[in-house]
Amino acid sequence: MRKKIAFFILLGWALLIIGDRVDELRVYQGAQIAMYTIALASIVLLTGYSGQVSLGNGAMMAVGGYSAALTLNNLQTPIWFAFLMAILVSACFGSLLGAAAARLSGPYLAGTTLALAVGLPAIANQFSFLGGEPGLLFDVGFPPERFGEEFTQYKWFFWIASVIALLALFITSNILQSRFGRTWRAIRGNSLAAELAGIHSSRMKVLAFTISSALAGLAGAVLAMTISLVAPGAYSLTLSFALVTGAVLAGVSSLPGVVLGGAILVAIPEIADALAGRFGNADSLNNYLPGLITSVLLILSVIYTPNGPGENLRKHLRKKHAH
Amino acid sequence: MQKVIETLLIGLTTGSIYALMSLALVLVWRSTRVINFAQAGQAMFATYIGFEISSRSGIFWLGLLFAIVGGALLGAGVDYFFMRVLFKHANTGPAAVVAPVIATLGLLGLIRSVVGLTWGGEFKTIEAPASTDGYTIGSTTIPFSALNALIIITVSIILIGLALLFQRTNLGLALRASAYAPEIAKLAGIRTAQTRTIGWAIAGGVGGVAGMLVTSNNFLSPYSLDLLLVFGFIAAVIGGLESMVGAVIGALVLGIGLTFILNYVGTSLVFIGGFTVLILVLLIKPDGIMAKGKGRRA
Repeated sequence: MRKKIAFFILLGWALLIIGDRVDELRVYQGAQIAMYTIALASIVLLTGYSGQVSLGNGAMMAVGGYSAALTLNNLQTPIWFAFLMAILVSACFGSLLGAAAARLSGPYLAGTTLALAVGLPAIANQFSFLGGEPGLLFDVGFPPERFGEEFTQYKWFFWIASVIALLALFITSNILQSRFGRTWRAIRGNSLAAELAGIHSSRMKVLAFTISSALAGLAGAVLAMTISLVAPGAYSLTLSFALVTGAVLAGVSSLPGVVLGGAILVAIPEIADALAGRFGNADSLNNYLPGLITSVLLILSVIYTPNGPGENLRKHLRKKHAH
Repeated sequence: MQKVIETLLIGLTTGSIYALMSLALVLVWRSTRVINFAQAGQAMFATYIGFEISSRSGIFWLGLLFAIVGGALLGAGVDYFFMRVLFKHANTGPAAVVAPVIATLGLLGLIRSVVGLTWGGEFKTIEAPASTDGYTIGSTTIPFSALNALIIITVSIILIGLALLFQRTNLGLALRASAYAPEIAKLAGIRTAQTRTIGWAIAGGVGGVAGMLVTSNNFLSPYSLDLLLVFGFIAAVIGGLESMVGAVIGALVLGIGLTFILNYVGTSLVFIGGFTVLILVLLIKPDGIMAKGKGRRA
């Protein structure tokens, strides 16, 4: 435990140093990676550990983003309170959804959450207090003056996002190593056997859904911070797709993998941009190339390394060992 | 009273299109045990083919024919080149259960980007094969048009055709047998793998028709069929995912119900209404309205 705290503090310190050395764009991308990291952790907890598929994490992020923005705009609260509200409200939503989901198996759950991912952002368009298509502003304000003149807005985003991501990862990794993590894995492995061993499996599934939604909501609020607004377009089906891709690419049951997954998700648009530039920057290329890369990666990884690259590596090593 | 009848008729039109999508999902689910989210993409691709043909030739029905053929070929191709590979590789470890679902999602994204790269993202329209002006009865004009009637007739013909195929032909028997008990079907000499591919082809063709019919009075874009997929899925769940009759009934009920919400409450609640129906069905009657007694579960 003490080792882990030390590790996270070291990690934070390293981030601090790196954040000072790189240019503005990279700092901003760092904040995005932190955001994806939180969102992917929510998928790892839900899918990798408790074995439930949710394709609707984008929708849960929307819940978090909107509740943070509504809190900040209407109550003029400090920022940390807005993030807290994002966690609480999306946890409530998650437990409601989880109560329904715990009775559902594979196809029903996947379909229901997909329906949510398609529909929930569209709902925001229909209600005026949610700001419609242009959405709501979400302004966390300028960085405190004591950091000096040099301290830019993006660096402020990066700091907030990184601190939140580190805390979220620390807590998640502790939850996963606790009794709950073991119980979820037991249910995933064989739910009948788990029930015989005295585990209340549906209650544990609801809990997994709740915690996972809380994480997703937090990620949604961080996303809102980095783009300074919440709008339906930011939480589209494309985001849910991207999250699933990131989780599968990094190995859906590996928590350290989420950082890699987040980095890949941030890199994809960058790569697509470079490629599109080479082929003459046509509109359709700019719009659809990232999607093409994402889906090809998703398909290849789900066919050839469904349990993440880590597992293939382990298998390979084991084979070598046997010889 | 007049509004009620209008709503019923429009709802029937909407529902009959949902029926095709939900049938396509059920067909694949029965044979492969996967909810094929790529169905929206396959149907969209088929509809773009139909759009090309019908806008060049000026004949909607020629476009529809090509959409059916294109959809069927794509469906068969997806099963043959994609699902078979997937089931061969991704069958161990914690992700094995979720892999097929995620793979179809990836395929949806792939088809969407390929279509977007080929045709661009702007909205396309397909010229409707019949007038979209409402019929005039006496002195009042109702929103029910010749196009709506044509949609209902087209869907009915396809449903009758499918019913005949499944009930009266050897192929239909093979399809039902391999969905009902694959092992026994195999023992009885049915080539279940081929049969499954044919099932995917049928589903693909049916999805193509759904896409063409929806687009005949709407826009076509790489995202335009997502909502149809969701409503098709809800309809299939109402019917219990297993039953083709249930899928059709579920779709008609859903179409009529949502149109009532649209006409009497407003657009903003249509999706919420659909989602509420989905959750309620899952909580109250998760096996769907066509569920048989425990003794005869198929």
